[in-house]
Amino acid sequence: MSKYTVNVNGQAHSVDVTPDTPLLWVLRDSLGLVGTKYGCGIGECGACTVHLDGKPTRACQTPVSEVGRAQVTTIEGLDPAGKHPLQQAWIELDVPQCGYCQAGQLMTASALLKSNPRPSDADIDKMMAGNLCRCASYVRIRAGIKRAAELASAGTANGGRS
Amino acid sequence: MKRLLESSSAGLDRRAFIKVGALAGGGLLVGTYLRFGAASAFAESLPGAADNFAPNAFISISPSGAVSIIAPNSEMGQGIKTSLPMIVAEELDVPFEQVTIVQGDLNPAYGRQMSVGSQSTPTNYAPMRRAGATARAMLVAAAAQTWGVPEPECTTEKGAVLHLKSKRRATYGELAAKASTLAPPADAPLKDPKDFKLIGTRVPGVDNKKIVTGVPLFGIDVKLPGMLYATYTKCPTFGGKVVSANIDEVKKRPGVRDAFVLDGIEGLTPGIAIVADSTWNAFSAAEALKVQWDAGPVASQNSAEMARQAEQLAKSTPPAPLPGGAKVVEATYHYPFLAHATLEPQNCTALFKNGVMEMWTPTQIPASGQGLVTRGLGLQPKDVVVHITRLGGGFGRRGSNEFSIEAAAIAKKLEGTPVKLMWRREDDFGHDNYRSNGWHYFTAGLDNAGKVVALHDAFVKMQGGPGDMSAGGFPFIVIPGSQVKSSKLPAGIPTGYWRAPGDNGNVWATQCFVDELAHAAGRDPLAFTLDLLAAAPPGNGRGFDPAKMTTVLELATEKAGWGKTRQRGEGQGLAITHTNNAYVAIVADVGVSREGVLAIKKLTAVVDAGTIINLSAAESQVQGAMLDGISAAWFQKITIEHGAAAQTNFHDYRMLRMNHAPPVVDVQFVKSSAPPTGLGEPGLPAAAPAVCNAIFAATGVRVRTLPIIDGSLKWT
Repeated sequence: MSKYTVNVNGQAHSVDVTPDTPLLWVLRDSLGLVGTKYGCGIGECGACTVHLDGKPTRACQTPVSEVGRAQVTTIEGLDPAGKHPLQQAWIELDVPQCGYCQAGQLMTASALLKSNPRPSDADIDKMMAGNLCRCASYVRIRAGIKRAAELASAGTANGGRS
Repeated sequence: MKRLLESSSAGLDRRAFIKVGALAGGGLLVGTYLRFGAASAFAESLPGAADNFAPNAFISISPSGAVSIIAPNSEMGQGIKTSLPMIVAEELDVPFEQVTIVQGDLNPAYGRQMSVGSQSTPTNYAPMRRAGATARAMLVAAAAQTWGVPEPECTTEKGAVLHLKSKRRATYGELAAKASTLAPPADAPLKDPKDFKLIGTRVPGVDNKKIVTGVPLFGIDVKLPGMLYATYTKCPTFGGKVVSANIDEVKKRPGVRDAFVLDGIEGLTPGIAIVADSTWNAFSAAEALKVQWDAGPVASQNSAEMARQAEQLAKSTPPAPLPGGAKVVEATYHYPFLAHATLEPQNCTALFKNGVMEMWTPTQIPASGQGLVTRGLGLQPKDVVVHITRLGGGFGRRGSNEFSIEAAAIAKKLEGTPVKLMWRREDDFGHDNYRSNGWHYFTAGLDNAGKVVALHDAFVKMQGGPGDMSAGGFPFIVIPGSQVKSSKLPAGIPTGYWRAPGDNGNVWATQCFVDELAHAAGRDPLAFTLDLLAAAPPGNGRGFDPAKMTTVLELATEKAGWGKTRQRGEGQGLAITHTNNAYVAIVADVGVSREGVLAIKKLTAVVDAGTIINLSAAESQVQGAMLDGISAAWFQKITIEHGAAAQTNFHDYRMLRMNHAPPVVDVQFVKSSAPPTGLGEPGLPAAAPAVCNAIFAATGVRVRTLPIIDGSLKWT
């Protein structure tokens, strides 16, 4: 076991785990941040997507020893009040079915909107293809991203957060 | 004390469903009194139920006017946690946004707590309406008595009783104490469906905010003080047993607290439990396991051999001869085993303390998990408490409860310590109850006018589990002398319920073959299917109404613009299904490049599912079910090699992704005041045959073996 300090959602946390422990399990088991989900453990499903310095990253493929000083943002840090335009759009359009993949979908989508505030269908397909939705709520995820883009540009929601 | 009262759900009298009591502090409870375990990792409990012996019920109304409604069934994405309370709120006449929804634990008082077979809504519709209407009637009676006015002069609106003549108004909260002293009426009046204000509207899921902010909700999210984490490793070959393992070595791995073999427990597949201080340490230790397995007899089974056996079985007895002069059309359709692949892998948290097993389980049938644990571990039902968590997908997978007995058996060994059993994704793919593979050997005869005069199907699937064929469904029912001969391959590979059991493969095969027959007869598939429906006898064993099917088919094809000429490489296909009493017609628009790359451009569905409770969830279910069916047909296959599943994770078990989802998925419901049918499954079966029939229209390539990606769609 080794000691690591990880910066998650603006807070520094000290954890004592084996160096190969994926960030996913540090978040879930050590820090109790269970919004980030385990789906495959091999980086194929996207349920564990978090941001490392703003970049969407598979937490199941990121050993804690490699996180270093990077700022980790999880679904809990997207906007705890649920006012991020994506969160608002998700509720407005009733996007989730089982909801298990949605934290990963939202983290990937928020990175997309940050770099591309008005994504086309093709942009969305390309960016979101790594996030599996087993319920296949894709039609509403796509609509939700577009609705969030509208909300953000209208300034009616908190579009500034990562 | 965490105890359920001893009570048998088998003899539950629906009339006894409605009972009334007072809440501490003067509130009203409608439902049934029960003693209830209150400890929970993230308890959703009714107001006034904080004490272990507090009563619990379907509806509670506090003196402050706060209304809480129990959602009795498991939420797995079908929207039942929202839609069942909507039914209560409609009859109770309370604004839904002011209602607190509480997930019920397993409790015989809640009736049929199974989320399977699209039955949650149809079976709960009438009791939920009665519960709401009874509470409303009592609040009206309380107001009428208080004001000294006749009950019929009182009305209700938004959580209050009104007496318009005297311009008096009292909130449900103000009336709750008085109402709780009244006897419930035997037959409280139900609303006329035309007066529904909430049922049929779009209501977002009640857990949406928790989902988008990452609040603990699912089984995997359960955390109890001092909890340990477990894996359970079973023989890759079905039915195999542990001979020996490097248990002592594994126990020395980082964070490992215990490791042991479990065997000889009824209902439990033998295996090796590893308990550690974190999920990762348990997973890592499981990777270091070296096990000598006794693989057992199933090791000789493999998919290729099954295909040979299926052909032998199908051809062992030739079908009856076709009418003389008929044009013969023959085709063989095959669909493979499928995994459920719920995105949340199977898990269960259990604590065994003071003789009581308390469990937090993402399960579709909590009572079946309780039964497994009761029998396997020699406990009484009252000593097995089941809390239902949200499920990260179900699709039929979580109707069986192996994870319940595994977690409980491990927790029993670690008495006093809570344990979360977590399956790795590889455990999940390797130990599913798969959708059975199946083969259809069709032979049909067409007369000179292109009419079907004979239809024979030699069908083969695995022994056991659902999904058998009968001649009772469409199109067999409309063809005189049609025959279905069903044969079974030897058991061994575990098969089970997969969303729309039976129909998920058999409707694909039969609807594609009907399309083949239309083309063989030189007819338009729409006109051909409408003619078959016109010949259908009204009413039969499955309650099939050909008029309803005709309506949805005509509407769907009209909406989709059926019959327009298209260039090669583009095509439309249609398919219909009568599943869980709902009528569904789907038209698919596809494009296929010369290289054989498939793109689905549009799906159009028209559904008659009776009364729609929550339009948002209903639409979402049909959209998702269609894409689920297409995902399975396009990509998915479990291959059996040496009695084990060859696929292990999402890299070799592909599923539909965002880039495969069509830009337009149009769903429309027929307006109906008939009781609701199920809706979790009916959208699925006709989607894949509509796509395959569209592929044929576009390319002339007929898909007769799934998944589609295993074949070529190239055309010239």
